[in-house]
Amino acid sequence: MYLYLPVALTSVNILLPVGLGLGVGLLSGLFGVGGGFLMTPLLIMLGIPSTVAAATDSNQIVAASTSGTYAHWKLGNVDFKMGLYLLVGGFTGGIVGVQLMKFLKAMGNADFVIKMTYILMLGIVGVYMLIESIHSMKKKEAAVSAKPAGKSKFGAFLESLPMQTRFEKSGVTHSLILPIFFGWFVGVLAAIMGVGGGFLMVPVMVYILRMPMHVVVGTSLFQILFTCIEVTFLQSYTNHTVDFTLAVLLLVGSTLGAQVGAVFGRKLKADQLKILLAIIVLVVTTKIIFDVTLEPSMLLGLGGGH
Amino acid sequence: MKTTFKTLIIAAAVLVLASFSPIREASAELTAKANHDHITIDSFYHGSEVSVRGICDPDVELVVKITSPEAHQSLKEKGKVGGFLWMNVGTLEIKNTPNLYMLRDTKDVSKLMASEELDKYIIGYPALSRHAELAPVADAATKDKWFGEFIKFKEHSKLFESTDGGFTFGDSGGKHTYYMKFAWPYQAPPGGYLVTVYAIKNGKVMEQATSKVLVEQVGVVKYLANMAKNNGALYGMFSILAALGAGFGVGLVFKKGGGAH
Repeated sequence: MYLYLPVALTSVNILLPVGLGLGVGLLSGLFGVGGGFLMTPLLIMLGIPSTVAAATDSNQIVAASTSGTYAHWKLGNVDFKMGLYLLVGGFTGGIVGVQLMKFLKAMGNADFVIKMTYILMLGIVGVYMLIESIHSMKKKEAAVSAKPAGKSKFGAFLESLPMQTRFEKSGVTHSLILPIFFGWFVGVLAAIMGVGGGFLMVPVMVYILRMPMHVVVGTSLFQILFTCIEVTFLQSYTNHTVDFTLAVLLLVGSTLGAQVGAVFGRKLKADQLKILLAIIVLVVTTKIIFDVTLEPSMLLGLGGGH
Repeated sequence: MKTTFKTLIIAAAVLVLASFSPIREASAELTAKANHDHITIDSFYHGSEVSVRGICDPDVELVVKITSPEAHQSLKEKGKVGGFLWMNVGTLEIKNTPNLYMLRDTKDVSKLMASEELDKYIIGYPALSRHAELAPVADAATKDKWFGEFIKFKEHSKLFESTDGGFTFGDSGGKHTYYMKFAWPYQAPPGGYLVTVYAIKNGKVMEQATSKVLVEQVGVVKYLANMAKNNGALYGMFSILAALGAGFGVGLVFKKGGGAH
């Protein structure tokens, strides 16, 4: 059955966006990522204009992350305090990132910066997570103590920062500067890449803030929820590019997928989750590398999106 | 005497003008009627069909052209950066071209007509190319290259087509009739479209007849499209609240289902 999309001005077989939503929602519930880096390119492949795809994806992530946050909150996996500080940083970083993009567009090299940021960030995050997780799994198999041997210089530096605060839910103590700074950094990158930034925020929480994986997923979803509410409103108000009909089709799948993902995620070990996310991130990175190095079948395309 | 002379000069002028008239009268009238000339886009719309029928002379070739009004279009140009990376490198501005251009002829008329005649009625992609303005293009070869890419993009979007054949001819009440149909793409946006039928004989357009097709959004589709365009803030809040409600709703359903957590 086909449904016409009033803003995208195209018609789609409803099974496709519902199925896409289910798949990406599953990843969202499993890993705490919004899935924008996967969903937007897939929607473009379905014939949705890139500007509508990116804006509508934010709308559906609101539903998926509400569903996921709710599921994780019931499981006690959301660190609201950490989430709020990350949000403060992310919000201001987003504003800086949008201004930076305006500047780059005026200079005429925005597309180059976007593509390179995608490849570098996804590549670094994917490779690091994969190596670290495999290493960690091997360590456990060898029955070596999981405790890190001594403190690194970086760890000592983080502890020397002022405004140290205890984050009870995560069981960590950090300076307030830390979540605000990294929230800001991810906010800048997310604005450049046109995504929620979940796949960047998750590694920041795991490797820098040293939060337990299950709290990371719930807290990341909580933060993504607010980011995507802001983006959905701004896209609707300024660009008129949110297609509500498409968002409904996607969220039917993604809300269910997020719930299943949250339950399924509990059955997987943290290292298994990290390896899975790393593999997905690396597959997407490889696809983008092919996209930018192989000659496209068409040399003209619609503007907007990435 | 003076009046007679004046009348003669006017008559001669009319005759001269008539001989240069772009469309000469043929022996039989050409008619065009687009069936399904009001296409409504509702929630389950997935394209339609537009058939064109009418009466024509038996010894003419026909061209049926459907176009949207000419507009200014902007598309991103992809090019190589650093010798190996393909990405958007600029914007191509295309003027004097319709968003939709569908052409069907009984025989490849580009071989039957001179390019001046094709250009006059913008029949065929080469004529459309000569009519279009592209910027920035350094020379004619670059223009041809990018117009070729423009056609490829439009054909991929189902908004341009140019093919031969597909006409059915018959007789009705002693008159020669024709019939053909286009698959109307769902990608064609709402708006007014012009159907023009040309009768070609001896390499010239002998007659032309027109009809119109109106594509219009209706019901929920129209309501949502208008709201998104004219009341973005309300539309945004509505979209967010619906998404929040759906997220919580599914969460509650899973809770009711029990056992999930």
